[in-house]
Amino acid sequence: MVARSQRERLLDAAFDVVAEKGYGATTIADLTREAGISRTTFYEMFEDKEACFLAAYDSAVDVFVRRIAAAFEAEEGWPQRVRAGLRVLLESLAKEPRFARLALVDVGSAGPAAQRRYRAGLQRMTPFFDEGRDFAPDGRRLPANVSRMAIGAVVGLVSDEIEAGRADLLPDLLPDVLFATLVPYLGPAAAAKEVGRG
Amino acid sequence: MMSRQTSFQLSSLMADQLESLRDRILTAMIRVVGRKGYDATAVADVIEEAGTSRTTFYKHFEDKHDCFLAAYDAMVERVFATVVAECEGEQPWLPRVRKGLATLVEIFSREPELARTALVEVAAAGAEARQRHWDAVARLTAYLDAGRKLDSGADLPEHISTMAVGAVSGLIFDELVAGRTSQLPDLMPDLLFAMLVPYIGPTAAAEEMRRAA
Repeated sequence: MVARSQRERLLDAAFDVVAEKGYGATTIADLTREAGISRTTFYEMFEDKEACFLAAYDSAVDVFVRRIAAAFEAEEGWPQRVRAGLRVLLESLAKEPRFARLALVDVGSAGPAAQRRYRAGLQRMTPFFDEGRDFAPDGRRLPANVSRMAIGAVVGLVSDEIEAGRADLLPDLLPDVLFATLVPYLGPAAAAKEVGRG
Repeated sequence: MMSRQTSFQLSSLMADQLESLRDRILTAMIRVVGRKGYDATAVADVIEEAGTSRTTFYKHFEDKHDCFLAAYDAMVERVFATVVAECEGEQPWLPRVRKGLATLVEIFSREPELARTALVEVAAAGAEARQRHWDAVARLTAYLDAGRKLDSGADLPEHISTMAVGAVSGLIFDELVAGRTSQLPDLMPDLLFAMLVPYIGPTAAAEEMRRAA
């Protein structure tokens, strides 16, 4: 029990410190101080700074994906399910702008492993998008990469807002983000219609 | 008179050489960062790659970051000029997008270090560098935005080109991070679909994709 809470404290600390100082400037001493643990304890849990940061990243992504999944599952019909999932995504990011920045902007500065983890984290959204293939009139003719494209479009819109310091306004982006998700499956006319259904 | 002209020519020659030294440093910076990553890049690596001295480096730049920003700007100008030059003859929107995208993909696959610096490593170089990246994306986006004039029968959202460019950069980013930069041209049909689909819909975009394959 104690070990678990130390680990959680350390993961929280990793997020706080990296968000504050940037990944490059963060030292293990910063992490142990912030978490209130010893250096020995740190090395019992993680090999190095990178391993610790990646674990913090993964656990934050887990929380987000679970929240989105819950909202998604609660609805019927793919466009409604996607709308609910995206709403939760945008609201969660707006409530936690620090996480938003770190997860979507600063993660790129934490080295190749973090960059791969970032892309892998995004791909965990794939199941929510892939249902669109069955819903789309011409689903079988869509490219294999279509969910990656939709995710890329959403990430582009969201990252733009975060980078501009407007993370708090992300929920206003729901119509655009929903359109971006639906359009590769349904086309612009049907996507605009779904968005208009509010 | 004669000697004045000679000295003028000489100084202009020296100015050219200085300029080309600066250019060499800028090119070296893009290459080294693409290879080693921004954080791991030292000024020493850059001057070694450029074949210049530390003195020359500091004559032109304050530090690594200053040099990186100048290098990034120069790279964006070069890439953008190449894309625009290739597209100039292509008047209608669709062939222009196709050509522009193909040109970009060709530059990236031919210069994988440039591609990594432009899209991946820029994130590590601080807020100013990322701003330059976003500005470049916005420029490319504006260049493509003529697509909005196509009549798709839908009320298209304002940010539609950000979506298109976001989808395309996401696909390219994944290939770069996975170390498959040289295979980027194989992805051209998918990239074309991603770029076109918000404007013309999946059926027409799949048709274009089939044609590009």
